[in-house]
Amino acid sequence: MAQQHDSVALVGDETVEHFATAVLLAALTAALAQVSIPLPGSLPPFSLQPFGAFFAGLLLGPLWGGLALALYILVGIAGAPVFSNANAGLGYVLVGQGTGGFLVGFLLGAVVAGGIAHRQITPRSLETIGVATQVLALVAAVVVIYAVGVPWMSWALGLPVQRAAATMAPYAPFDLLKIAVAIAIVRGGYLVRE
Amino acid sequence: MLSYRPGETFAHRLDPRSKLCFQAGFAVAAFADTSLSWLAGVYALAALALLAGRLDPRRVVRAYWVVFLVLALGPVIAGIAVGPPWFRVEPALTSLRAVARVPPVLAVSAVYVHTTPVRGTRAAIERLVPGRAGQLLGVGTGLVVRFFPLVVSDLRRIRTAMVARGGANRPVTDRARRLAVQGIDRAMARSDRLAVALRARCFAWNPTLPALTFGRMDYPVAGIGVVLALSPLAQSAALSPLLATA
Repeated sequence: MAQQHDSVALVGDETVEHFATAVLLAALTAALAQVSIPLPGSLPPFSLQPFGAFFAGLLLGPLWGGLALALYILVGIAGAPVFSNANAGLGYVLVGQGTGGFLVGFLLGAVVAGGIAHRQITPRSLETIGVATQVLALVAAVVVIYAVGVPWMSWALGLPVQRAAATMAPYAPFDLLKIAVAIAIVRGGYLVRE
Repeated sequence: MLSYRPGETFAHRLDPRSKLCFQAGFAVAAFADTSLSWLAGVYALAALALLAGRLDPRRVVRAYWVVFLVLALGPVIAGIAVGPPWFRVEPALTSLRAVARVPPVLAVSAVYVHTTPVRGTRAAIERLVPGRAGQLLGVGTGLVVRFFPLVVSDLRRIRTAMVARGGANRPVTDRARRLAVQGIDRAMARSDRLAVALRARCFAWNPTLPALTFGRMDYPVAGIGVVLALSPLAQSAALSPLLATA
Protein backbone atom coordinates (compact mmCIF):
# COMPACT_ATOMS: atom_id res chain seq x y z
CA MET A 1 0.00 0.00 0.00
CA ALA A 2 1.39 3.45 -0.93
CA GLN A 3 1.91 5.69 2.07
CA GLN A 4 2.56 9.37 2.37
CA HIS A 5 5.35 10.37 4.71
CA ASP A 6 5.10 14.18 4.47
CA SER A 7 4.13 16.06 7.61
CA VAL A 8 0.43 16.67 8.05
CA ALA A 9 -0.58 20.09 6.67
CA LEU A 10 -3.45 21.06 8.93
CA VAL A 11 -6.04 23.39 7.47
CA GLY A 12 -5.65 26.80 9.17
CA ASP A 13 -8.12 27.73 11.92
CA GLU A 14 -9.50 30.69 9.98
CA THR A 15 -9.96 28.60 6.84
CA VAL A 16 -11.77 25.90 8.81
CA GLU A 17 -14.13 28.50 10.24
CA HIS A 18 -14.91 30.08 6.86
CA PHE A 19 -15.28 26.65 5.31
CA ALA A 20 -17.69 25.45 8.02
CA THR A 21 -19.76 28.62 7.62
CA ALA A 22 -19.81 28.15 3.83
CA VAL A 23 -21.04 24.56 4.28
CA LEU A 24 -23.85 25.64 6.57
CA LEU A 25 -24.83 28.57 4.34
CA ALA A 26 -24.99 26.18 1.38
CA ALA A 27 -27.26 23.92 3.45
CA LEU A 28 -29.32 26.96 4.50
CA THR A 29 -29.72 28.07 0.86
CA ALA A 30 -30.91 24.56 0.03
CA ALA A 31 -33.29 24.55 2.98
CA LEU A 32 -34.68 28.00 2.17
CA ALA A 33 -35.52 26.71 -1.31
CA GLN A 34 -37.76 24.06 0.27
CA VAL A 35 -39.42 26.05 3.04
CA SER A 36 -41.62 28.94 1.98
CA ILE A 37 -44.22 31.12 3.65
CA PRO A 38 -47.71 30.43 2.26
CA LEU A 39 -49.51 33.57 1.12
CA PRO A 40 -53.29 33.98 1.14
CA GLY A 41 -55.37 33.39 -1.99
CA SER A 42 -53.80 32.24 -5.23
CA LEU A 43 -50.52 34.09 -4.67
CA PRO A 44 -47.39 31.95 -5.08
CA PRO A 45 -45.69 31.01 -1.79
CA PHE A 46 -43.10 33.51 -0.56
CA SER A 47 -39.73 31.80 -1.06
CA LEU A 48 -36.69 32.95 0.87
CA GLN A 49 -34.15 31.30 -1.44
CA PRO A 50 -32.26 34.49 -2.50
CA PHE A 51 -31.47 35.07 1.19
CA GLY A 52 -28.92 32.27 0.96
CA ALA A 53 -26.99 34.27 -1.64
CA PHE A 54 -27.43 37.53 0.33
CA PHE A 55 -26.16 36.05 3.60
CA ALA A 56 -23.32 34.17 1.91
CA GLY A 57 -22.03 37.36 0.27
CA LEU A 58 -22.45 39.55 3.35
CA LEU A 59 -21.09 37.12 5.92
CA LEU A 60 -18.34 35.44 3.95
CA GLY A 61 -17.11 37.85 1.28
CA PRO A 62 -16.59 37.07 -2.40
CA LEU A 63 -14.42 33.94 -2.16
CA TRP A 64 -16.07 31.98 0.62
CA GLY A 65 -19.54 33.25 -0.25
CA GLY A 66 -18.95 32.04 -3.79
CA LEU A 67 -17.78 28.68 -2.42
CA ALA A 68 -21.00 28.37 -0.40
CA LEU A 69 -23.19 28.84 -3.49
CA ALA A 70 -20.88 26.64 -5.60
CA LEU A 71 -21.33 23.88 -3.01
CA TYR A 72 -25.09 24.35 -3.18
CA ILE A 73 -25.09 23.90 -6.96
CA LEU A 74 -22.65 20.96 -6.83
CA VAL A 75 -24.75 19.13 -4.26
CA GLY A 76 -27.75 19.56 -6.55
CA ILE A 77 -25.76 18.20 -9.48
CA ALA A 78 -24.70 15.26 -7.30
CA GLY A 79 -28.38 14.41 -6.89
CA ALA A 80 -29.50 15.81 -3.53
CA PRO A 81 -32.98 17.36 -3.94
CA VAL A 82 -31.86 20.88 -3.04
CA PHE A 83 -33.34 23.01 -5.81
CA SER A 84 -36.87 24.37 -5.50
CA ASN A 85 -39.63 21.70 -5.56
CA ALA A 86 -36.97 19.16 -4.49
CA ASN A 87 -35.41 19.05 -7.97
CA ALA A 88 -31.86 17.92 -8.70
CA GLY A 89 -29.45 17.22 -11.54
CA LEU A 90 -27.13 19.01 -13.92
CA GLY A 91 -29.97 19.28 -16.44
CA TYR A 92 -31.96 21.37 -13.96
CA VAL A 93 -29.04 23.77 -13.44
CA LEU A 94 -28.46 24.16 -17.17
CA VAL A 95 -32.03 24.51 -18.35
CA GLY A 96 -34.58 23.40 -15.76
CA GLN A 97 -37.81 25.28 -16.23
CA GLY A 98 -35.84 28.09 -17.80
CA THR A 99 -34.79 29.17 -14.33
CA GLY A 100 -31.37 27.50 -14.21
CA GLY A 101 -29.76 30.86 -14.88
CA PHE A 102 -31.08 32.14 -11.58
CA LEU A 103 -29.11 29.44 -9.74
CA VAL A 104 -25.93 30.58 -11.48
CA GLY A 105 -27.11 34.16 -10.80
CA PHE A 106 -27.23 33.39 -7.07
CA LEU A 107 -23.59 32.28 -7.22
CA LEU A 108 -22.46 35.42 -9.07
CA GLY A 109 -24.76 37.57 -6.91
CA ALA A 110 -23.09 36.25 -3.75
CA VAL A 111 -19.66 36.96 -5.22
CA VAL A 112 -20.66 40.50 -6.24
CA ALA A 113 -22.37 41.24 -2.90
CA GLY A 114 -19.32 39.94 -1.04
CA GLY A 115 -16.97 41.95 -3.23
CA ILE A 116 -18.90 45.19 -2.69
CA ALA A 117 -19.34 44.69 1.05
CA HIS A 118 -15.87 43.44 1.96
CA ARG A 119 -13.67 44.77 -0.88
CA GLN A 120 -11.14 42.02 -0.12
CA ILE A 121 -10.97 38.25 -0.24
CA THR A 122 -10.91 37.68 3.53
CA PRO A 123 -14.23 38.61 5.09
CA ARG A 124 -14.25 41.52 7.52
CA SER A 125 -16.52 41.88 10.53
CA LEU A 126 -19.88 43.30 9.46
CA GLU A 127 -19.59 45.83 12.28
CA THR A 128 -16.89 47.65 10.32
CA ILE A 129 -19.00 47.85 7.15
CA GLY A 130 -21.55 50.66 6.83
CA VAL A 131 -25.22 49.80 6.46
CA ALA A 132 -25.37 51.78 3.20
CA THR A 133 -22.60 49.60 1.71
CA GLN A 134 -24.40 46.44 2.78
CA VAL A 135 -27.66 47.64 1.24
CA LEU A 136 -25.82 48.51 -1.97
CA ALA A 137 -24.32 45.00 -1.97
CA LEU A 138 -27.78 43.43 -1.65
CA VAL A 139 -29.27 45.53 -4.45
CA ALA A 140 -26.31 44.72 -6.69
CA ALA A 141 -26.79 41.01 -5.94
CA VAL A 142 -30.44 41.16 -7.06
CA VAL A 143 -29.47 43.07 -10.22
CA VAL A 144 -26.85 40.41 -11.03
CA ILE A 145 -29.31 37.57 -10.37
CA TYR A 146 -31.77 39.05 -12.86
CA ALA A 147 -29.06 40.05 -15.35
CA VAL A 148 -27.97 36.40 -15.55
CA GLY A 149 -31.36 34.74 -15.06
CA VAL A 150 -33.49 36.57 -17.62
CA PRO A 151 -31.24 36.24 -20.73
CA TRP A 152 -30.58 32.61 -19.72
CA MET A 153 -34.32 32.01 -19.56
CA SER A 154 -34.82 33.61 -22.97
CA TRP A 155 -32.16 31.27 -24.38
CA ALA A 156 -33.52 28.12 -22.72
CA LEU A 157 -37.16 28.74 -23.63
CA GLY A 158 -36.54 30.31 -27.04
CA LEU A 159 -38.27 33.53 -26.00
CA PRO A 160 -37.27 37.08 -26.95
CA VAL A 161 -35.46 38.72 -24.00
CA GLN A 162 -38.27 41.26 -23.48
CA ARG A 163 -40.81 38.43 -23.31
CA ALA A 164 -38.70 36.56 -20.76
CA ALA A 165 -38.36 39.76 -18.73
CA ALA A 166 -42.14 40.25 -18.87
CA THR A 167 -42.62 36.66 -17.62
CA MET A 168 -40.42 37.36 -14.61
CA ALA A 169 -41.91 40.81 -13.98
CA PRO A 170 -44.71 39.57 -11.65
CA TYR A 171 -42.01 38.25 -9.31
CA ALA A 172 -40.24 41.63 -9.09
CA PRO A 173 -42.48 43.04 -6.32
CA PHE A 174 -41.74 39.96 -4.23
CA ASP A 175 -38.03 40.46 -4.79
CA LEU A 176 -38.33 44.11 -3.76
CA LEU A 177 -40.06 42.86 -0.62
CA LYS A 178 -37.18 40.42 -0.07
CA ILE A 179 -34.67 43.24 -0.39
CA ALA A 180 -36.72 45.20 2.16
CA VAL A 181 -36.66 42.25 4.56
CA ALA A 182 -32.93 41.72 4.01
CA ILE A 183 -32.27 45.42 4.64
CA ALA A 184 -34.31 45.21 7.85
CA ILE A 185 -32.14 42.28 8.92
CA VAL A 186 -28.95 44.19 8.10
CA ARG A 187 -30.12 47.38 9.83
CA GLY A 188 -31.26 45.43 12.87
CA GLY A 189 -27.68 44.18 13.21
CA TYR A 190 -28.87 40.55 13.25
CA LEU A 191 -25.97 39.41 11.08
CA VAL A 192 -23.19 40.91 13.22
CA ARG A 193 -21.35 38.15 15.00
CA GLU A 194 -18.80 38.21 17.78
CA MET B 1 -38.28 12.58 -6.47
CA LEU B 2 -35.27 10.96 -8.11
CA SER B 3 -32.43 9.67 -6.02
CA TYR B 4 -29.62 7.16 -6.21
CA ARG B 5 -30.67 3.53 -6.35
CA PRO B 6 -28.00 0.83 -6.11
CA GLY B 7 -27.92 -1.42 -9.13
CA GLU B 8 -25.83 -3.39 -11.57
CA THR B 9 -26.71 -1.67 -14.83
CA PHE B 10 -24.20 -0.45 -17.39
CA ALA B 11 -24.61 3.14 -16.15
CA HIS B 12 -24.07 2.09 -12.53
CA ARG B 13 -20.73 0.54 -13.43
CA LEU B 14 -19.38 3.66 -15.13
CA ASP B 15 -16.99 6.08 -13.45
CA PRO B 16 -18.81 9.26 -12.28
CA ARG B 17 -16.26 11.36 -14.17
CA SER B 18 -17.15 9.82 -17.51
CA LYS B 19 -20.85 10.22 -16.72
CA LEU B 20 -20.41 13.90 -15.79
CA CYS B 21 -18.46 14.42 -18.99
CA PHE B 22 -21.18 12.71 -21.05
CA GLN B 23 -23.89 14.75 -19.35
CA ALA B 24 -22.20 18.07 -20.03
CA GLY B 25 -21.37 17.11 -23.59
CA PHE B 26 -24.91 15.93 -24.18
CA ALA B 27 -26.38 19.23 -22.92
CA VAL B 28 -24.08 21.16 -25.24
CA ALA B 29 -25.08 18.94 -28.17
CA ALA B 30 -28.79 19.17 -27.33
CA PHE B 31 -28.64 22.94 -27.48
CA ALA B 32 -26.45 23.09 -30.57
CA ASP B 33 -29.28 22.93 -33.10
CA THR B 34 -33.09 22.98 -33.30
CA SER B 35 -33.63 21.13 -36.60
CA LEU B 36 -36.05 18.20 -36.38
CA SER B 37 -33.50 15.57 -37.42
CA TRP B 38 -31.06 16.87 -34.79
CA LEU B 39 -33.79 16.75 -32.14
CA ALA B 40 -34.65 13.18 -33.17
CA GLY B 41 -31.00 12.18 -32.70
CA VAL B 42 -30.89 13.85 -29.28
CA TYR B 43 -34.05 12.02 -28.18
CA ALA B 44 -32.68 8.70 -29.45
CA LEU B 45 -29.46 9.20 -27.48
CA ALA B 46 -31.43 10.13 -24.34
CA ALA B 47 -33.48 6.94 -24.79
CA LEU B 48 -30.22 4.95 -24.93
CA ALA B 49 -29.04 6.65 -21.74
CA LEU B 50 -32.32 5.74 -20.01
CA LEU B 51 -31.88 2.19 -21.21
CA ALA B 52 -28.26 2.08 -19.94
CA GLY B 53 -29.48 3.05 -16.47
CA ARG B 54 -32.71 0.98 -16.70
CA LEU B 55 -34.65 4.11 -15.74
CA ASP B 56 -38.32 4.23 -16.64
CA PRO B 57 -39.05 7.46 -18.58
CA ARG B 58 -42.33 7.74 -16.66
CA ARG B 59 -40.32 8.18 -13.48
CA VAL B 60 -38.44 11.07 -15.11
CA VAL B 61 -41.75 12.69 -16.04
CA ARG B 62 -43.08 12.18 -12.51
CA ALA B 63 -39.93 13.66 -10.98
CA TYR B 64 -39.85 16.73 -13.21
CA TRP B 65 -43.58 17.26 -13.87
CA VAL B 66 -43.61 20.80 -12.46
CA VAL B 67 -40.67 21.65 -14.70
CA PHE B 68 -42.43 20.21 -17.75
CA LEU B 69 -45.60 22.12 -16.89
CA VAL B 70 -43.74 25.42 -16.72
CA LEU B 71 -41.84 24.55 -19.91
CA ALA B 72 -45.14 23.96 -21.72
CA LEU B 73 -46.08 27.55 -20.92
CA GLY B 74 -43.04 28.81 -22.85
CA PRO B 75 -44.54 28.48 -26.36
CA VAL B 76 -47.85 29.92 -25.11
CA ILE B 77 -46.08 32.99 -23.70
CA ALA B 78 -44.04 33.33 -26.88
CA GLY B 79 -47.13 33.18 -29.08
CA ILE B 80 -49.27 35.69 -27.23
CA ALA B 81 -49.52 38.94 -29.18
CA VAL B 82 -50.86 42.29 -28.10
CA GLY B 83 -53.64 42.99 -30.58
CA PRO B 84 -55.06 40.82 -33.38
CA PRO B 85 -54.50 38.04 -34.17
CA TRP B 86 -53.72 37.72 -30.40
CA PHE B 87 -51.71 34.54 -30.97
CA ARG B 88 -48.85 34.20 -33.46
CA VAL B 89 -47.91 30.67 -34.47
CA GLU B 90 -44.38 31.32 -35.68
CA PRO B 91 -42.77 32.55 -32.44
CA ALA B 92 -44.70 29.85 -30.58
CA LEU B 93 -43.15 27.20 -32.84
CA THR B 94 -39.67 28.68 -32.37
CA SER B 95 -40.14 28.49 -28.62
CA LEU B 96 -41.60 24.97 -28.87
CA ARG B 97 -38.46 23.79 -30.65
CA ALA B 98 -36.29 25.44 -27.98
CA VAL B 99 -38.33 23.90 -25.18
CA ALA B 100 -38.31 20.46 -26.83
CA ARG B 101 -34.54 20.30 -26.27
CA VAL B 102 -34.97 20.34 -22.49
CA PRO B 103 -36.62 16.96 -21.67
CA PRO B 104 -33.74 14.82 -23.03
CA VAL B 105 -31.21 16.89 -21.06
CA LEU B 106 -33.26 16.38 -17.91
CA ALA B 107 -33.60 12.66 -18.69
CA VAL B 108 -29.83 12.21 -19.01
CA SER B 109 -29.16 14.02 -15.74
CA ALA B 110 -31.89 11.91 -14.13
CA VAL B 111 -29.97 8.80 -15.21
CA TYR B 112 -26.84 10.24 -13.60
CA VAL B 113 -28.66 10.98 -10.32
CA HIS B 114 -30.28 7.53 -10.42
CA THR B 115 -27.01 5.66 -10.95
CA THR B 116 -24.39 7.65 -9.04
CA PRO B 117 -24.05 7.82 -5.25
CA VAL B 118 -23.23 11.27 -3.86
CA ARG B 119 -19.85 10.01 -2.64
CA GLY B 120 -19.07 9.06 -6.26
CA THR B 121 -19.68 12.65 -7.36
CA ARG B 122 -17.66 13.87 -4.40
CA ALA B 123 -14.72 11.70 -5.41
CA ALA B 124 -15.05 12.90 -9.00
CA ILE B 125 -15.00 16.56 -7.88
CA GLU B 126 -11.88 15.97 -5.77
CA ARG B 127 -10.10 14.38 -8.70
CA LEU B 128 -11.34 16.78 -11.37
CA VAL B 129 -10.75 20.07 -9.55
CA PRO B 130 -7.04 20.33 -8.81
CA GLY B 131 -5.43 21.27 -5.51
CA ARG B 132 -6.99 22.60 -2.35
CA ALA B 133 -10.06 24.01 -4.10
CA GLY B 134 -10.97 20.51 -5.22
CA GLN B 135 -10.48 19.12 -1.74
CA LEU B 136 -12.66 21.77 -0.11
CA LEU B 137 -15.37 21.31 -2.76
CA GLY B 138 -15.25 17.54 -2.31
CA VAL B 139 -15.39 17.53 1.48
CA GLY B 140 -17.92 20.38 1.40
CA THR B 141 -20.26 18.46 -0.91
CA GLY B 142 -20.36 15.55 1.52
CA LEU B 143 -20.95 17.85 4.49
CA VAL B 144 -23.72 19.87 2.80
CA VAL B 145 -25.59 16.66 1.96
CA ARG B 146 -25.25 15.71 5.63
CA PHE B 147 -26.46 19.07 6.98
CA PHE B 148 -29.24 19.80 4.45
CA PRO B 149 -31.96 17.71 6.20
CA LEU B 150 -30.98 19.15 9.59
CA VAL B 151 -31.27 22.75 8.40
CA VAL B 152 -34.60 22.00 6.68
CA SER B 153 -35.97 20.58 9.93
CA ASP B 154 -34.60 23.64 11.79
CA LEU B 155 -36.54 25.93 9.45
CA ARG B 156 -39.72 23.82 9.67
CA ARG B 157 -39.48 23.88 13.47
CA ILE B 158 -39.11 27.67 13.46
CA ARG B 159 -42.09 28.03 11.16
CA THR B 160 -44.23 25.70 13.29
CA ALA B 161 -43.25 27.59 16.45
CA MET B 162 -44.15 30.85 14.75
CA VAL B 163 -47.59 29.56 13.70
CA ALA B 164 -48.21 28.09 17.17
CA ARG B 165 -47.70 31.57 18.65
CA GLY B 166 -50.17 33.20 16.27
CA GLY B 167 -47.43 34.25 13.87
CA ALA B 168 -49.65 33.48 10.88
CA ASN B 169 -51.43 36.78 11.55
CA ARG B 170 -48.22 38.82 11.30
CA PRO B 171 -47.37 40.62 8.03
CA VAL B 172 -45.41 38.46 5.59
CA THR B 173 -42.28 40.65 5.79
CA ASP B 174 -42.22 40.20 9.54
CA ARG B 175 -42.58 36.42 9.22
CA ALA B 176 -39.89 36.29 6.55
CA ARG B 177 -37.53 38.32 8.73
CA ARG B 178 -38.08 36.10 11.75
CA LEU B 179 -37.67 32.90 9.74
CA ALA B 180 -34.49 34.19 8.10
CA VAL B 181 -32.93 35.52 11.30
CA GLN B 182 -33.72 32.41 13.32
CA GLY B 183 -32.61 30.21 10.44
CA ILE B 184 -29.26 31.96 10.11
CA ASP B 185 -28.78 31.88 13.89
CA ARG B 186 -29.20 28.13 14.04
CA ALA B 187 -27.08 27.60 10.94
CA MET B 188 -24.28 29.68 12.46
CA ALA B 189 -24.48 27.74 15.73
CA ARG B 190 -24.16 24.54 13.73
CA SER B 191 -21.23 25.93 11.75
CA ASP B 192 -19.39 26.83 14.99
CA ARG B 193 -19.81 23.28 16.20
CA LEU B 194 -18.76 21.91 12.81
CA ALA B 195 -15.59 24.04 12.83
CA VAL B 196 -14.68 22.75 16.31
CA ALA B 197 -15.40 19.19 15.22
CA LEU B 198 -13.26 19.53 12.08
CA ARG B 199 -10.34 20.95 14.06
CA ALA B 200 -10.70 18.29 16.73
CA ARG B 201 -10.36 15.69 13.98
CA CYS B 202 -7.22 17.30 12.51
CA PHE B 203 -8.87 18.45 9.29
CA ALA B 204 -5.86 18.43 6.99
CA TRP B 205 -4.95 19.23 3.42
CA ASN B 206 -3.14 15.90 3.16
CA PRO B 207 -5.10 13.47 5.26
CA THR B 208 -3.31 10.15 5.67
CA LEU B 209 -4.56 6.95 7.12
CA PRO B 210 -2.73 5.97 10.31
CA ALA B 211 0.32 3.78 9.55
CA LEU B 212 -0.38 0.19 10.48
CA THR B 213 2.28 -1.95 12.21
CA PHE B 214 2.02 -5.43 13.69
CA GLY B 215 2.65 -5.54 17.46
CA ARG B 216 3.68 -8.60 19.52
CA MET B 217 0.13 -9.69 20.31
CA ASP B 218 -0.98 -9.29 16.73
CA TYR B 219 0.93 -12.39 15.55
CA PRO B 220 -0.80 -14.99 17.75
CA VAL B 221 -4.19 -13.41 17.17
CA ALA B 222 -3.63 -13.48 13.41
CA GLY B 223 -2.25 -17.06 13.73
CA ILE B 224 -5.41 -18.17 15.51
CA GLY B 225 -7.43 -16.54 12.79
CA VAL B 226 -5.59 -18.48 10.07
CA VAL B 227 -5.95 -21.73 11.98
CA LEU B 228 -9.65 -21.15 12.45
CA ALA B 229 -9.99 -20.41 8.76
CA LEU B 230 -8.26 -23.67 7.85
CA SER B 231 -10.11 -25.76 10.42
CA PRO B 232 -12.81 -27.08 8.10
CA LEU B 233 -10.05 -28.58 5.88
CA ALA B 234 -8.40 -30.34 8.83
CA GLN B 235 -11.75 -31.62 9.98
CA SER B 236 -12.63 -33.16 6.66
CA ALA B 237 -9.10 -34.66 6.40
CA ALA B 238 -9.57 -36.28 9.83
CA LEU B 239 -12.97 -37.57 8.95
CA SER B 240 -12.15 -38.94 5.50
CA PRO B 241 -10.48 -42.25 6.71
CA LEU B 242 -13.48 -42.88 8.95
CA LEU B 243 -15.82 -42.22 6.05
CA ALA B 244 -13.79 -44.52 3.81
CA THR B 245 -14.04 -47.43 6.26
CA ALA B 246 -17.74 -46.87 6.85
